[in-house]
Amino acid sequence: MPPKGPAAKNKDIAPVEEDVIQAVILAESFNKRFKPLTIDRPRCLLPICNAPLLDWTLESLALAGVQEIFVVCRSHPELVKAAIKESKWSKPGSGLKIVPIVTAKQTFTPGDALRDIYTHGIITNDFVLVTGDLVSNIRIDEVVRVHKERRKVDRDAIMTMVVKESGVVHRTRSKGESAVFVVDPETDRLLHYESVTGYPKTKIARIPREVLNEHPECEIRYDLIDCSIDICSVEVPSLFQDNFDYGHIRRDFVHGVLTSDLLMKNIYTYVAKDGYAARVQDTKSYDAVSKDILSRWTFPLVPDNNHPSSHAYEHRRGNKYFPRDNTVILSRTCTVGTNTLIGSHSQIFDNAVITSSVIGRRCKILPRAKITNSYIFDDTTIEADCVITSSIIGTMVNVKEGTVVEKGCLIADEVTVGPKGLVKEFERVSKKTKTLGAASSTDDEDEDSELEDIGEEQLEKLRADLGTGSNAFVWPPRTLILEDEETDEIENVNNLRLMRLGDNATDSPVSEAESVSTDDASSPSESDVEDNLDESHSSASSNASTSTPATSSKGVSKEEVEFKLEVTQSLERAFEEGHSVDNASVELKTLRMASNVPLSRVREAVIAALVDRISVVSPEDGAAKQKVEVEKVVERWGELINKIGGIDGVETISILQNHCATTNTQLFGQILVSFYQNDVIDEDDLKNWQRLPASRTGQVDSAENHKKFWVIGSRILQQLLEQDSEDESDEDGDEDDE
Amino acid sequence: MSGDVQTDAYQRNVEALVSKLRRRYRFMSPEVLTAGLITHLRQIVGSRRAALETLVVLRQVVTKARFSNIEQLVEIIHGAGRRLVEAQPKGTSLTVAFPGRHNMDSTEFSVGNTVRKVLHHIREEYRTAAKKVPEDTALSISKLVYQGQPRRRGMAPKSETDVDLKEDDLDDTDSFSRNLKPVFMEAIQDVFDELETVYDSISKSAKDHIHSDEIILTIGQSTTVENFLKAAAHYRNFTVIVAETGPTYQGHRMAQSLSEAGISTFLVPDSSIYAIMSRVNKVILGAHAIIANGGMFAVTGSLLAATAAQAHSTPVVVCAGQFKITPLWNLYQDYSALDFSDPSNVLGFEEGDLVDKADVINPYYDYVGPDLVYAYITNDGDHPPTSIYRLIKETYNDEDIEL
Repeated sequence: MPPKGPAAKNKDIAPVEEDVIQAVILAESFNKRFKPLTIDRPRCLLPICNAPLLDWTLESLALAGVQEIFVVCRSHPELVKAAIKESKWSKPGSGLKIVPIVTAKQTFTPGDALRDIYTHGIITNDFVLVTGDLVSNIRIDEVVRVHKERRKVDRDAIMTMVVKESGVVHRTRSKGESAVFVVDPETDRLLHYESVTGYPKTKIARIPREVLNEHPECEIRYDLIDCSIDICSVEVPSLFQDNFDYGHIRRDFVHGVLTSDLLMKNIYTYVAKDGYAARVQDTKSYDAVSKDILSRWTFPLVPDNNHPSSHAYEHRRGNKYFPRDNTVILSRTCTVGTNTLIGSHSQIFDNAVITSSVIGRRCKILPRAKITNSYIFDDTTIEADCVITSSIIGTMVNVKEGTVVEKGCLIADEVTVGPKGLVKEFERVSKKTKTLGAASSTDDEDEDSELEDIGEEQLEKLRADLGTGSNAFVWPPRTLILEDEETDEIENVNNLRLMRLGDNATDSPVSEAESVSTDDASSPSESDVEDNLDESHSSASSNASTSTPATSSKGVSKEEVEFKLEVTQSLERAFEEGHSVDNASVELKTLRMASNVPLSRVREAVIAALVDRISVVSPEDGAAKQKVEVEKVVERWGELINKIGGIDGVETISILQNHCATTNTQLFGQILVSFYQNDVIDEDDLKNWQRLPASRTGQVDSAENHKKFWVIGSRILQQLLEQDSEDESDEDGDEDDE
Repeated sequence: MSGDVQTDAYQRNVEALVSKLRRRYRFMSPEVLTAGLITHLRQIVGSRRAALETLVVLRQVVTKARFSNIEQLVEIIHGAGRRLVEAQPKGTSLTVAFPGRHNMDSTEFSVGNTVRKVLHHIREEYRTAAKKVPEDTALSISKLVYQGQPRRRGMAPKSETDVDLKEDDLDDTDSFSRNLKPVFMEAIQDVFDELETVYDSISKSAKDHIHSDEIILTIGQSTTVENFLKAAAHYRNFTVIVAETGPTYQGHRMAQSLSEAGISTFLVPDSSIYAIMSRVNKVILGAHAIIANGGMFAVTGSLLAATAAQAHSTPVVVCAGQFKITPLWNLYQDYSALDFSDPSNVLGFEEGDLVDKADVINPYYDYVGPDLVYAYITNDGDHPPTSIYRLIKETYNDEDIEL
């Protein structure tokens, strides 16, 4: 044997270990959208195109060159572990190392899961964070490379989110849960993230003015699919650890990081121009992703090539997939339509019609059954003359003859329905256990909450149509149970409707709600998000200070009032107890984050508090004494105005003017001078302010005061300018002397 | 038995290529396509590269294999070959025309072909060494076709080993492999050399096929065709019309490359192929695989060009290396196509509204039947489609057709 052997071996192995890409899969959905299909197994093991979702995710990651994977599972951890053990990836030579991590039942959010990851201390490098329901062919290693490059330049880049262009209307894009991304087109930095819900329909995206001020060019996009592939730095889990209230990765973490003045971290986006990535986050996207796989958008991850469960399928005209092992028995008269996949050992009998559906392995479709747009898992029998439309049917289900399953139904494992039964649209059916209701799932406490309140009679009534031979009961519609429950807005019943298979939501409250939700809109005529975005963008960027007084006095919502109160109180405390300026500013920043208000609002509140703090001396006592009073306050606290996060002298003056004008305080001039002397504002600010048309006119009700103050301001400016020139000449003179 | 002989080392080699082949598909993402690399990967790196890499692996396998008779060695190579072939992305309905046998199909045929060819050579060497009577020296009608062409028949014996070959020698189990391994390595080297020079050998006959002032139409970017035309340009003055070849638009690069070589080149849209066919003297195509019935798989659009050529009685000539000749039949082709890629080249994913309503079919290869091809120009001489079966018989052993 040549001596080359071992050397070559080392060469093969070395580059692999040098740069291991780690990935964390969150194999837990933290919601119940697939109930009751997920009673007996976690969602990540639901089959899509006859392979468990988790396998698709692993395949996607393997295709992208990931080598070490941690799978975080919560519900049914033993099943997930077994699935990983059995999968082809656990075999030696697969090049993947998969470690399942079981988190506690108390893990209720992705945030909790990440905190768990942090405590495990397994992350050593930048890692890929995905959910266990991802189907993707995006080259994640490329994204990781971009991320690492960026880290070299910007140490604060902690995350890169992969998003995919899709257009506003797309079957794979969730209507119920989407987001507006504000991105700097040059650096791809994410400037703002605003999550959008379908119900109540989000009509206004609020973009902080700072974003528009600081970035002359930014893209506001509502056409992106969030693939939830995130390249995270090691800091990310620790940030979750520090901020124990972060639950949702997008709505809490991303939003929190972006709006925070304290963290100073940046998040970037990676707009995947090519490639495919989507999540199966609800039944509607289950349908969409299945269709995408069948129509080969996920190529090379298609059933006839790289099928994650290593089934061999043959691709025939019209995107039909038949198993290659010739075990399917197709009747001569059956019709198999386009975009259909049929699992091995299945039998399709005479005159059965199957279109746009996925049939599992060992299924039997008896004569004249009609299956459209449906997903049937393994070992299920559909008897003669059944009609099944847009539904998902679990394993070992028996749909007896003549049964009609209307659109959007979910039928759980081992259910028998019919004969001649009717499953009404959007019904969820699962097997009847010994005692109805509460005992339906014994091991999971949180799962039966939906069924507890429902009386037995009601259940009996609901299942009346299922047919005499049925062993199942129908879950009461979500609306009956969840109506009064305090739920997350994404998990709102009406919002969930938008994520439901077969539900086109034409009759949903979304359309009715359109006229209602305009209470806090500044202009009620705007009907869709994009218009709104454009408008706020143009007004804000063209003239920042015009909108300040407008937004401040109009439509002050409850939250803002609360916020103002809080600020005043905290400042009062600071004044009384003599806090340091730094402490006070930190307190204000926290307050601002907590109530999520723009910076200008904080400034307003601070200035108002300061002005109110100055005790007014009666005119008889003379201006000098008044000046002392003003000086006292501004000297001590003026600094605070510029410490709340961002310096904007012009705005400070405008706010001061505004405040003095509306409260009819006559101290404007003195305070302004004092601000100038204490370096709160400088000359340029004053000049710029003077030039603003808004400073001259102000609002209708206080226009007079405004004008007066503007005149005062101008006079002060003039004095300052004169003084300056005198100073300069003095200095010149001095120099001459020397 | 073979399991014992297979050592870890070469298994790792096989795995490495296997993963390379698997991973190569991720390069297929249109992202690379825009970078102008796809053809490179699929055509150049594709067939010939895969063949070369297969050879490298086989050489390792044979070097490290421990065997005491020819059957063991063949079994080892078969095992490795099967692994390599299986590893490839599957996407065709090509089938070995032996009923009852397993379907054996893959998109990158050159891997299987190379394994078969190596086996054939090794068997031949063994036969010479063991002084067995070489089989099949009978005259065949196909030989009439080869007249005037220098034709290597079989292999010249590499070494005159006079050592007594003892198979299954119990005292010295390695004696057989020790004696024959160098010979086998040389046999593999021969295949290697042939592959290395494949473009040159094909181009040698270029000036006999292209005449002055001819107008040639080609489609896609095949390195073989590219080299062929460039070689012809040394002797002749002719014009090439290149079709754009949507949706990959390889034609753009082909046209650029040819025109850089000083050939007068036109780039035309695919839709005008029929219209200009009346002016074309010859259609020269590249092939992805030549199959046993004399038909071939070639880049999408080839069928269009070949059919248009037939309507105008314009000869269609195919340039391809011999390693592309594949002992497979195209049994159930509904589509006349092979290897369906994702629709994103045709319809953007961002066209959300349409994605749901339109089914897009985006095949990578067309099947061009034997009746549409006039002749194959290979490094092994020129052949009409009707004699491909004979070439297969001569190049591969029957028992290796199914790996």
